[in-house]
Amino acid sequence: MAFSVVMPALGMAQETGKLIAWRKKEGDRVTKGEPLLEIETDKAVMEVEAPADGVLAGITGSVGADIPVGQTIAWIVAPGEKPPAENESATTAPAARGKAESHAAPVAAAAAESPAVQGARISPKARRLAKELGVDIARLRGSGPGGEILASDVQAAAAPMGPGSPARKSASLEIPSTLGRLMAERTTQSWTTVPHFFVTREIDATALNEYREKLAEIEHTHEVRITHTDLLVAITSRVLLKHPRLNSSWSADGIRLHDYVNMGVAIAVNDGVVAAVIPNAHAASLAEIAQQRRDVAGRARAGKLRPADIADATFTISNLGMYGVDQFSAIIIPPQAAILAVGSISDRVVAVEGKPAVRPMMTLTLSCDHRAADGARAALFLNDLVQAIHEPEKSLA
Amino acid sequence: MPEREITFAQAVREALAEEMRRDARVCIIGEDVAEAGTPFKVLSGLVEEFGARRVVDTPISEAGFTGVAVGAAMTGLRPVVDIMFGDFITLTMDQMVNQAAKAHYMSGGHWKVPMVMRTTLGATRRSAAQHSQSLHAWFSHVPGLKVVLPSTPYDAKGLLKAAIRDENPVVFFEDKMMYKLKGPVPEDDYTIPLGVADVKRAGDDITLVATSSMVQVALGAAIMLEKEGLSAEVVDPRTTWPLDEKTLIDSAKKTSRVIVLDEGYGRYGVTAELAAVIAEGAFYDLDAPVKRMGAMHVPIPFSPPLEDATVPTEQTVFEAVRLMCKPA
Repeated sequence: MAFSVVMPALGMAQETGKLIAWRKKEGDRVTKGEPLLEIETDKAVMEVEAPADGVLAGITGSVGADIPVGQTIAWIVAPGEKPPAENESATTAPAARGKAESHAAPVAAAAAESPAVQGARISPKARRLAKELGVDIARLRGSGPGGEILASDVQAAAAPMGPGSPARKSASLEIPSTLGRLMAERTTQSWTTVPHFFVTREIDATALNEYREKLAEIEHTHEVRITHTDLLVAITSRVLLKHPRLNSSWSADGIRLHDYVNMGVAIAVNDGVVAAVIPNAHAASLAEIAQQRRDVAGRARAGKLRPADIADATFTISNLGMYGVDQFSAIIIPPQAAILAVGSISDRVVAVEGKPAVRPMMTLTLSCDHRAADGARAALFLNDLVQAIHEPEKSLA
Repeated sequence: MPEREITFAQAVREALAEEMRRDARVCIIGEDVAEAGTPFKVLSGLVEEFGARRVVDTPISEAGFTGVAVGAAMTGLRPVVDIMFGDFITLTMDQMVNQAAKAHYMSGGHWKVPMVMRTTLGATRRSAAQHSQSLHAWFSHVPGLKVVLPSTPYDAKGLLKAAIRDENPVVFFEDKMMYKLKGPVPEDDYTIPLGVADVKRAGDDITLVATSSMVQVALGAAIMLEKEGLSAEVVDPRTTWPLDEKTLIDSAKKTSRVIVLDEGYGRYGVTAELAAVIAEGAFYDLDAPVKRMGAMHVPIPFSPPLEDATVPTEQTVFEAVRLMCKPA
């Protein structure tokens, strides 16, 4: 029987995905689980795996196209079998409609957003030159009358920096990768549209450190090292359940409150940062969290994230402690309402019962979307979180 | 020595006179071709030199005298038929399409029809709907006919002489608004081969492919565009068949943008064919869709302001180019 390959939905608000490349050709034999194609969403570039064993056939999704979520883009069939023709025409109809719409208002589209987001039109000549010169057209901004990418745009992007010209100043210009460009777009969108505010607390991490020491047994049994980040994921997830506004999404219809915590963990990769997701972290054990975080971090660094690895986080933790950072403010990842920035744990002199004492201190900074939560709510959440970190054993019981 | 300048009408007359002197088989037949010298005075003086046996006035009977010419050509003469207004070619269609164009093929090469039909095209002469059309696409559609569209006095002389010497039926369209246009024309005997386009002006930013009357419009627009910093190349195919596809495609590849200009109707017209040839040959070198500009799809109005609005002008071409080339 034939299995359809559809454009997957990786996020709650995602409507389309862009087909970046087919890893397999029409007629290739594929094994369930092996990478079939690469897609780009508003979050990341990732691989989509074959849903079944068989032969790839009836490819309708073309490289570079923005395809509605759920649309069939190919089939996996038995050897000799033909892909179902009826479904093909039925599922390609929405694509044709989408195309017609985008052609109806090319000028408005070009003016409103960057071409990469809108799927800008490109002249035949520019497309050919881009291929020949190895220029990534997704990075180009078109200069045609309707924002079309023209041959001159491609040539300008491909031109080497000439010596002595004013371009020498930008000799170190680095063209961002697709992930880098996405990061730039998403952070700009967040920073310019989400009203951020920040709440900071210093915490004595003595109890947290002591608790982590006691986990050697779990670590041994599960053969996994439990990091401070894992501990914070577990504790924060549980505290968040009592503070739904911090675990929510602002939308035009209202504030969507979640009764589960999908915890995003910011992970630095080669050319940017991705937020890998640990689903239902509020109910996961420390060992499960540690295991999942290690797996997903490995895939992130190898550039092999799966759709589920980055989908539908409700809150994010970003820990720069390992880099020696004392404290910082993070940018919220919409539609989440908040992100927790974690600094390093370092010995500082603090007042304990009226006397100076040295304690391992850690600074937490919470960034909040003021549409979803106000300062008092943020403070109450931090209060509870500090309390829980002071008593990790109790809070994780 | 400065080159001699004569008008388009004088160039046509000179070509005919030279060919009639060179070859006794060349003769002229049509309405008002003798003493009247045609309403446009193109043939003035020819009947005086060559006599009424070689410059034959006819009644108003286009189908009849075109048939006479086809027969004369098949039996050894080289007639040049004069159809006063291009609108009247409708009356000659059976003779041209079913007889002249087919005789060589259907006789297995036994018969030849070495004739020329000279006629006119072009609007803005205030001649109303039945005397203003540009119907050269009709003949361009038929295998067996060659179609020539001169745009300068120089081309008119060289192309007409080549048409008269051609062994096939050739239709030669003259823009009636161009008869008084002056340009350099050598006194020598020269011919321009049919099927060779001419780059009338070199440019880098856009190609204006223009025929007949539209060549002068394109050249005027190119001068206006130069002041805007836009460099337009003007390419004149000179014949719609045979067609010099290579020159059109090469120019399109060079500039990446093309507007095709022709005074005939755009719908199913010459512009459609030329645009298709260019799109097929230069698709991967185009930065924009090929644009077409031709006569509005209406009967040509008699009202001067309305008539002027039906055909491309230097101004409308200038604006179209600017729209196509302006940055976002």
